[in-house]
Amino acid sequence: MSEDIDVKLEQKVAEFYQSLGIHQGPGDIQYRLILKVLGKNEGRITEFSEIREYTDMFADKGSIGSKMKTIFQLEGLAEKVKRGGYIITDKGMTAFHFLKDTTAFYKKNKRMGEIIERMP
Amino acid sequence: MSTGLLLNATICFAITISSFAFAWVLSQSDSQHNKKSRPALWSLITLWLLVGFTYLPTTIRMIAAYIGNQQLDLAMYYMASLPFSFVSVPLVFFILYVIVGDQKISSYISLLFVFFGAAYLILLYSSGVIGPTTTPLTSMFTINSDIAINIYLIGLFVIPTAMIIGLLFLIFLQRMPKRLRYRTALPLVAISFVFDFILTDMITLDDTMQLAARIFVLIGTVQAFLAYFPPMTLQEKLGIKEYEYTLYENDEEADYDEGNAEENDINV
Repeated sequence: MSEDIDVKLEQKVAEFYQSLGIHQGPGDIQYRLILKVLGKNEGRITEFSEIREYTDMFADKGSIGSKMKTIFQLEGLAEKVKRGGYIITDKGMTAFHFLKDTTAFYKKNKRMGEIIERMP
Repeated sequence: MSTGLLLNATICFAITISSFAFAWVLSQSDSQHNKKSRPALWSLITLWLLVGFTYLPTTIRMIAAYIGNQQLDLAMYYMASLPFSFVSVPLVFFILYVIVGDQKISSYISLLFVFFGAAYLILLYSSGVIGPTTTPLTSMFTINSDIAINIYLIGLFVIPTAMIIGLLFLIFLQRMPKRLRYRTALPLVAISFVFDFILTDMITLDDTMQLAARIFVLIGTVQAFLAYFPPMTLQEKLGIKEYEYTLYENDEEADYDEGNAEENDINV
Protein backbone atom coordinates (compact mmCIF):
# COMPACT_ATOMS: atom_id res chain seq x y z
CA MET A 1 0.00 0.00 0.00
CA SER A 2 1.81 3.13 -1.09
CA GLU A 3 -0.32 6.21 -1.27
CA ASP A 4 1.12 9.69 -1.13
CA ILE A 5 0.45 11.85 1.87
CA ASP A 6 -0.78 15.31 0.98
CA VAL A 7 0.55 17.34 3.88
CA LYS A 8 -1.25 20.53 2.85
CA LEU A 9 -4.58 18.72 2.64
CA GLU A 10 -3.98 17.09 6.01
CA GLN A 11 -3.26 20.50 7.49
CA LYS A 12 -6.47 21.93 6.05
CA VAL A 13 -8.47 18.98 7.35
CA ALA A 14 -6.93 19.36 10.81
CA GLU A 15 -7.73 23.09 10.80
CA PHE A 16 -11.32 22.31 9.80
CA TYR A 17 -11.76 19.96 12.77
CA GLN A 18 -10.07 22.47 15.07
CA SER A 19 -12.61 25.04 13.92
CA LEU A 20 -15.29 22.61 15.13
CA GLY A 21 -13.66 22.49 18.56
CA ILE A 22 -11.96 19.12 17.93
CA HIS A 23 -8.36 19.78 18.76
CA GLN A 24 -7.23 16.22 19.28
CA GLY A 25 -7.38 13.18 17.04
CA PRO A 26 -8.66 14.33 13.63
CA GLY A 27 -7.98 17.95 14.58
CA ASP A 28 -4.35 17.29 15.49
CA ILE A 29 -2.01 17.55 12.49
CA GLN A 30 0.73 15.53 14.26
CA TYR A 31 -1.68 12.69 15.02
CA ARG A 32 -2.95 12.73 11.44
CA LEU A 33 0.48 12.63 9.84
CA ILE A 34 1.88 9.94 12.16
CA LEU A 35 -1.16 7.74 11.60
CA LYS A 36 -1.03 8.33 7.85
CA VAL A 37 2.62 7.24 7.66
CA LEU A 38 1.98 4.21 9.89
CA GLY A 39 -1.10 3.24 7.87
CA LYS A 40 0.75 3.66 4.60
CA ASN A 41 3.31 1.13 5.83
CA GLU A 42 0.79 -1.48 6.97
CA GLY A 43 2.56 -4.80 7.54
CA ARG A 44 5.98 -3.13 7.41
CA ILE A 45 8.18 -1.36 9.90
CA THR A 46 7.89 2.42 9.85
CA GLU A 47 11.10 4.23 10.64
CA PHE A 48 10.87 7.22 12.95
CA SER A 49 12.84 9.21 10.36
CA GLU A 50 10.10 8.53 7.81
CA ILE A 51 7.49 9.99 10.16
CA ARG A 52 9.69 13.01 10.72
CA GLU A 53 9.90 13.67 6.97
CA TYR A 54 6.28 14.79 7.20
CA THR A 55 6.09 16.15 10.73
CA ASP A 56 9.25 18.27 10.87
CA MET A 57 7.50 21.36 9.55
CA PHE A 58 4.93 21.17 12.35
CA ALA A 59 6.69 19.79 15.40
CA ASP A 60 10.12 18.97 16.77
CA LYS A 61 11.52 15.49 17.21
CA GLY A 62 10.75 15.50 20.95
CA SER A 63 7.04 16.17 20.66
CA ILE A 64 6.61 13.54 17.94
CA GLY A 65 8.47 10.99 20.08
CA SER A 66 6.28 11.92 23.02
CA LYS A 67 3.12 11.56 20.92
CA MET A 68 4.27 8.13 19.76
CA LYS A 69 4.69 7.06 23.35
CA THR A 70 1.71 8.73 25.06
CA ILE A 71 -0.89 8.14 22.37
CA PHE A 72 0.12 5.55 19.81
CA GLN A 73 1.94 3.07 22.04
CA LEU A 74 -0.18 3.69 25.14
CA GLU A 75 -3.47 3.16 23.29
CA GLY A 76 -2.09 0.22 21.34
CA LEU A 77 -2.30 1.84 17.92
CA ALA A 78 1.34 1.04 17.17
CA GLU A 79 4.01 -1.23 18.65
CA LYS A 80 7.67 -0.37 18.94
CA VAL A 81 9.53 -3.26 17.33
CA LYS A 82 13.08 -1.86 17.36
CA ARG A 83 14.89 1.36 18.15
CA GLY A 84 13.17 3.99 16.02
CA GLY A 85 10.94 1.38 14.35
CA TYR A 86 7.16 1.04 14.73
CA ILE A 87 4.50 -1.20 13.27
CA ILE A 88 0.81 -0.37 13.12
CA THR A 89 -1.61 -2.70 14.94
CA ASP A 90 -5.13 -3.75 13.87
CA LYS A 91 -6.53 -1.14 16.24
CA GLY A 92 -4.22 1.38 14.64
CA MET A 93 -5.61 0.42 11.22
CA THR A 94 -9.11 1.09 12.56
CA ALA A 95 -7.96 4.56 13.57
CA PHE A 96 -6.33 4.96 10.14
CA HIS A 97 -9.59 4.11 8.37
CA PHE A 98 -11.46 6.49 10.64
CA LEU A 99 -8.97 9.18 9.67
CA LYS A 100 -9.75 8.51 6.01
CA ASP A 101 -13.44 8.99 6.80
CA THR A 102 -12.68 12.32 8.45
CA THR A 103 -10.93 13.47 5.25
CA ALA A 104 -13.93 12.34 3.19
CA PHE A 105 -16.28 14.18 5.55
CA TYR A 106 -14.16 17.32 5.23
CA LYS A 107 -14.22 17.11 1.42
CA LYS A 108 -17.97 16.49 1.33
CA ASN A 109 -18.62 19.32 3.73
CA LYS A 110 -16.38 21.69 1.80
CA ARG A 111 -18.02 20.80 -1.53
CA MET A 112 -21.49 21.29 -0.09
CA GLY A 113 -20.44 24.58 1.53
CA GLU A 114 -19.25 25.82 -1.84
CA ILE A 115 -22.51 24.75 -3.51
CA ILE A 116 -24.54 26.59 -0.88
CA GLU A 117 -22.30 29.63 -1.25
CA ARG A 118 -23.07 29.73 -4.97
CA MET A 119 -26.83 29.36 -4.46
CA PRO A 120 -28.45 32.80 -4.64
CA MET B 1 -66.77 32.92 -26.16
CA SER B 2 -66.39 31.13 -22.89
CA THR B 3 -65.61 32.26 -19.39
CA GLY B 4 -63.16 29.33 -19.23
CA LEU B 5 -60.94 31.22 -21.68
CA LEU B 6 -61.08 34.30 -19.47
CA LEU B 7 -60.13 32.20 -16.45
CA ASN B 8 -57.23 30.81 -18.48
CA ALA B 9 -56.17 34.34 -19.46
CA THR B 10 -56.31 35.40 -15.80
CA ILE B 11 -54.10 32.49 -14.73
CA CYS B 12 -51.60 33.30 -17.49
CA PHE B 13 -51.61 36.95 -16.44
CA ALA B 14 -51.05 35.97 -12.80
CA ILE B 15 -48.06 33.84 -13.85
CA THR B 16 -46.69 36.75 -15.91
CA ILE B 17 -47.04 39.27 -13.10
CA SER B 18 -45.65 36.99 -10.40
CA SER B 19 -42.69 35.91 -12.58
CA PHE B 20 -41.77 39.51 -13.40
CA ALA B 21 -42.25 40.55 -9.77
CA PHE B 22 -40.06 37.70 -8.58
CA ALA B 23 -37.36 38.55 -11.14
CA TRP B 24 -37.49 42.19 -10.00
CA VAL B 25 -37.27 41.29 -6.30
CA LEU B 26 -34.32 39.00 -7.03
CA SER B 27 -32.55 41.73 -9.00
CA GLN B 28 -33.02 44.10 -6.07
CA SER B 29 -31.13 41.69 -3.82
CA ASP B 30 -28.06 41.84 -6.09
CA SER B 31 -26.03 43.91 -3.62
CA GLN B 32 -26.56 41.28 -0.90
CA HIS B 33 -24.83 38.63 -2.98
CA ASN B 34 -21.12 38.00 -3.32
CA LYS B 35 -19.32 37.45 -6.61
CA LYS B 36 -19.68 33.69 -6.25
CA SER B 37 -23.47 33.66 -6.10
CA ARG B 38 -24.06 36.56 -8.49
CA PRO B 39 -23.83 34.54 -11.77
CA ALA B 40 -26.39 32.04 -10.40
CA LEU B 41 -28.61 34.92 -9.26
CA TRP B 42 -28.65 36.52 -12.71
CA SER B 43 -29.34 33.22 -14.44
CA LEU B 44 -32.28 32.79 -12.08
CA ILE B 45 -33.52 36.31 -12.89
CA THR B 46 -33.23 35.51 -16.63
CA LEU B 47 -35.16 32.29 -16.11
CA TRP B 48 -38.07 34.07 -14.40
CA LEU B 49 -38.04 36.81 -17.02
CA LEU B 50 -38.30 34.20 -19.77
CA VAL B 51 -41.20 32.56 -17.92
CA GLY B 52 -42.89 35.96 -17.72
CA PHE B 53 -42.22 36.68 -21.39
CA THR B 54 -43.65 33.27 -22.33
CA TYR B 55 -46.90 33.88 -20.47
CA LEU B 56 -47.42 37.51 -21.49
CA PRO B 57 -48.19 36.65 -25.16
CA THR B 58 -50.07 33.56 -23.91
CA THR B 59 -52.37 35.87 -21.91
CA ILE B 60 -53.05 37.91 -25.07
CA ARG B 61 -53.55 34.61 -26.95
CA MET B 62 -56.29 33.56 -24.58
CA ILE B 63 -57.98 36.95 -24.89
CA ALA B 64 -57.65 36.68 -28.70
CA ALA B 65 -59.29 33.25 -28.56
CA TYR B 66 -62.05 34.71 -26.37
CA ILE B 67 -62.80 37.45 -28.90
CA GLY B 68 -62.33 35.01 -31.78
CA ASN B 69 -59.26 36.62 -33.38
CA GLN B 70 -57.37 33.61 -34.78
CA GLN B 71 -54.62 35.61 -36.48
CA LEU B 72 -53.65 37.32 -33.25
CA ASP B 73 -53.85 33.95 -31.50
CA LEU B 74 -51.36 32.44 -33.98
CA ALA B 75 -49.04 35.46 -33.87
CA MET B 76 -48.96 35.34 -30.08
CA TYR B 77 -48.28 31.58 -30.12
CA TYR B 78 -45.20 32.16 -32.29
CA MET B 79 -44.15 35.04 -30.06
CA ALA B 80 -44.50 32.94 -26.89
CA SER B 81 -42.45 30.15 -28.49
CA LEU B 82 -39.42 32.44 -28.68
CA PRO B 83 -38.74 32.94 -24.93
CA PHE B 84 -40.03 29.44 -24.22
CA SER B 85 -37.38 27.82 -26.45
CA PHE B 86 -34.61 29.36 -24.38
CA VAL B 87 -36.01 28.74 -20.89
CA SER B 88 -33.68 25.78 -20.45
CA VAL B 89 -30.55 27.91 -21.16
CA PRO B 90 -30.45 29.90 -17.86
CA LEU B 91 -31.71 26.84 -16.03
CA VAL B 92 -28.84 24.66 -17.25
CA PHE B 93 -26.36 27.44 -16.52
CA PHE B 94 -27.80 27.86 -13.01
CA ILE B 95 -27.57 24.16 -12.10
CA LEU B 96 -24.15 23.61 -13.64
CA TYR B 97 -22.72 26.75 -12.09
CA VAL B 98 -24.05 25.83 -8.65
CA ILE B 99 -22.62 22.29 -8.86
CA VAL B 100 -19.36 22.84 -10.77
CA GLY B 101 -18.63 26.45 -9.87
CA ASP B 102 -16.97 27.18 -13.22
CA GLN B 103 -18.59 30.00 -15.14
CA LYS B 104 -16.88 29.11 -18.44
CA ILE B 105 -17.86 25.43 -18.46
CA SER B 106 -21.42 26.32 -17.47
CA SER B 107 -21.60 28.94 -20.25
CA TYR B 108 -20.32 26.53 -22.92
CA ILE B 109 -22.74 23.78 -21.94
CA SER B 110 -25.69 26.15 -21.72
CA LEU B 111 -24.70 27.43 -25.18
CA LEU B 112 -25.49 23.93 -26.42
CA PHE B 113 -29.04 24.48 -25.21
CA VAL B 114 -29.19 27.74 -27.18
CA PHE B 115 -28.62 25.55 -30.27
CA PHE B 116 -31.31 23.13 -29.09
CA GLY B 117 -33.73 26.03 -28.65
CA ALA B 118 -32.79 27.56 -32.00
CA ALA B 119 -33.21 24.20 -33.77
CA TYR B 120 -36.64 23.81 -32.18
CA LEU B 121 -37.63 27.32 -33.28
CA ILE B 122 -36.40 26.85 -36.86
CA LEU B 123 -38.33 23.57 -37.18
CA LEU B 124 -41.40 25.09 -35.56
CA TYR B 125 -41.42 28.15 -37.82
CA SER B 126 -40.58 26.21 -40.99
CA SER B 127 -43.07 23.36 -40.45
CA GLY B 128 -45.76 25.55 -39.02
CA VAL B 129 -48.51 24.61 -36.62
CA ILE B 130 -52.00 23.21 -36.97
CA GLY B 131 -54.74 25.19 -35.35
CA PRO B 132 -55.93 26.96 -33.37
CA THR B 133 -58.39 24.53 -31.83
CA THR B 134 -60.52 26.61 -29.53
CA THR B 135 -62.28 24.81 -26.69
CA PRO B 136 -64.32 26.30 -23.82
CA LEU B 137 -61.16 26.28 -21.67
CA THR B 138 -58.31 27.11 -23.97
CA SER B 139 -56.93 27.53 -27.46
CA MET B 140 -54.38 24.99 -28.67
CA PHE B 141 -51.97 24.46 -31.53
CA THR B 142 -50.41 21.21 -32.72
CA ILE B 143 -46.77 21.35 -33.73
CA ASN B 144 -46.48 20.07 -37.30
CA SER B 145 -43.00 18.55 -36.90
CA ASP B 146 -42.04 15.34 -35.13
CA ILE B 147 -38.36 16.31 -35.02
CA ALA B 148 -39.25 19.59 -33.27
CA ILE B 149 -41.21 17.65 -30.66
CA ASN B 150 -38.29 15.26 -30.14
CA ILE B 151 -35.80 18.11 -29.73
CA TYR B 152 -38.25 19.75 -27.41
CA LEU B 153 -38.68 16.64 -25.28
CA ILE B 154 -35.06 15.50 -25.09
CA GLY B 155 -33.10 18.72 -25.34
CA LEU B 156 -35.36 21.10 -23.54
CA PHE B 157 -37.11 18.80 -21.11
CA VAL B 158 -35.32 15.56 -20.15
CA ILE B 159 -31.75 16.83 -19.66
CA PRO B 160 -32.54 19.94 -17.56
CA THR B 161 -35.08 18.00 -15.47
CA ALA B 162 -32.50 15.28 -14.82
CA MET B 163 -30.04 17.99 -13.76
CA ILE B 164 -32.53 19.44 -11.25
CA ILE B 165 -33.26 15.98 -9.82
CA GLY B 166 -29.52 15.32 -9.55
CA LEU B 167 -28.91 18.54 -7.64
CA LEU B 168 -31.90 17.84 -5.39
CA PHE B 169 -30.51 14.39 -4.55
CA LEU B 170 -27.13 15.91 -3.83
CA ILE B 171 -28.77 18.26 -1.33
CA PHE B 172 -31.03 15.65 0.25
CA LEU B 173 -28.15 13.22 0.77
CA GLN B 174 -26.17 15.76 2.76
CA ARG B 175 -26.61 16.40 6.43
CA MET B 176 -27.12 20.12 6.80
CA PRO B 177 -29.07 22.55 8.97
CA LYS B 178 -32.83 22.50 8.33
CA ARG B 179 -32.86 26.16 7.35
CA LEU B 180 -30.19 25.66 4.68
CA ARG B 181 -31.92 22.55 3.37
CA TYR B 182 -35.17 24.49 2.97
CA ARG B 183 -33.36 27.45 1.43
CA THR B 184 -31.60 25.31 -1.19
CA ALA B 185 -34.15 22.58 -1.93
CA LEU B 186 -37.37 24.60 -2.20
CA PRO B 187 -36.19 26.96 -4.99
CA LEU B 188 -35.16 23.88 -6.97
CA VAL B 189 -38.50 22.17 -6.39
CA ALA B 190 -40.24 25.41 -7.45
CA ILE B 191 -38.12 25.75 -10.60
CA SER B 192 -38.71 22.11 -11.45
CA PHE B 193 -42.45 22.58 -10.92
CA VAL B 194 -42.59 25.63 -13.18
CA PHE B 195 -40.30 24.19 -15.81
CA ASP B 196 -42.00 20.81 -16.11
CA PHE B 197 -45.49 22.24 -16.23
CA ILE B 198 -44.57 24.89 -18.82
CA LEU B 199 -43.47 22.04 -21.04
CA THR B 200 -46.65 20.07 -20.31
CA ASP B 201 -48.61 23.21 -21.12
CA MET B 202 -46.88 23.59 -24.49
CA ILE B 203 -47.10 20.00 -25.65
CA THR B 204 -50.47 18.77 -24.38
CA LEU B 205 -53.45 18.28 -26.65
CA ASP B 206 -55.93 18.14 -23.80
CA ASP B 207 -57.51 21.45 -22.77
CA THR B 208 -58.15 20.46 -19.13
CA MET B 209 -54.57 19.29 -18.75
CA GLN B 210 -53.30 22.55 -20.19
CA LEU B 211 -55.32 24.57 -17.73
CA ALA B 212 -54.19 22.33 -14.86
CA ALA B 213 -50.57 22.71 -16.00
CA ARG B 214 -50.94 26.50 -15.94
CA ILE B 215 -52.37 26.38 -12.42
CA PHE B 216 -49.32 24.33 -11.39
CA VAL B 217 -46.98 26.84 -13.04
CA LEU B 218 -48.64 29.51 -10.90
CA ILE B 219 -48.26 27.34 -7.79
CA GLY B 220 -44.59 26.86 -8.69
CA THR B 221 -44.07 30.63 -8.91
CA VAL B 222 -45.70 31.09 -5.49
CA GLN B 223 -43.49 28.28 -4.18
CA ALA B 224 -40.41 30.12 -5.45
CA PHE B 225 -41.55 33.23 -3.55
CA LEU B 226 -42.01 31.13 -0.41
CA ALA B 227 -38.54 29.67 -0.86
CA TYR B 228 -36.91 33.08 -0.75
CA PHE B 229 -39.34 34.89 1.52
CA PRO B 230 -40.90 32.31 3.83
CA PRO B 231 -43.69 33.79 5.99
CA MET B 232 -43.13 33.73 9.75
CA THR B 233 -45.81 31.08 10.41
CA LEU B 234 -44.21 28.74 7.88
CA GLN B 235 -40.79 29.34 9.41
CA GLU B 236 -42.15 28.48 12.86
CA LYS B 237 -43.96 25.37 11.61
CA LEU B 238 -40.95 24.01 9.76
CA GLY B 239 -38.57 24.95 12.56
CA ILE B 240 -36.43 27.06 10.26
CA LYS B 241 -36.91 30.37 12.01
CA GLU B 242 -33.65 32.09 12.72
CA TYR B 243 -33.43 32.79 16.43
CA GLU B 244 -32.87 36.47 17.02
CA TYR B 245 -30.46 37.09 19.86
CA THR B 246 -28.09 39.63 21.32
CA LEU B 247 -24.79 38.58 22.79
CA TYR B 248 -24.62 38.31 26.57
CA GLU B 249 -22.09 40.93 27.61
CA ASN B 250 -21.48 40.10 31.25
CA ASP B 251 -19.55 36.96 30.41
CA GLU B 252 -17.51 36.83 33.61
CA GLU B 253 -20.46 35.65 35.68
CA ALA B 254 -20.43 31.91 36.30
CA ASP B 255 -23.26 29.78 34.87
CA TYR B 256 -25.38 27.86 37.37
CA ASP B 257 -27.99 25.17 37.32
CA GLU B 258 -31.37 26.64 38.22
CA GLY B 259 -32.46 23.38 39.86
CA ASN B 260 -29.62 23.45 42.36
CA ALA B 261 -30.68 25.68 45.25
CA GLU B 262 -27.30 25.63 46.97
CA GLU B 263 -25.46 26.81 43.89
CA ASN B 264 -28.15 29.45 43.34
CA ASP B 265 -27.42 30.83 46.77
CA ILE B 266 -23.73 30.91 46.09
CA ASN B 267 -24.01 32.53 42.70
CA VAL B 268 -26.79 34.98 43.54
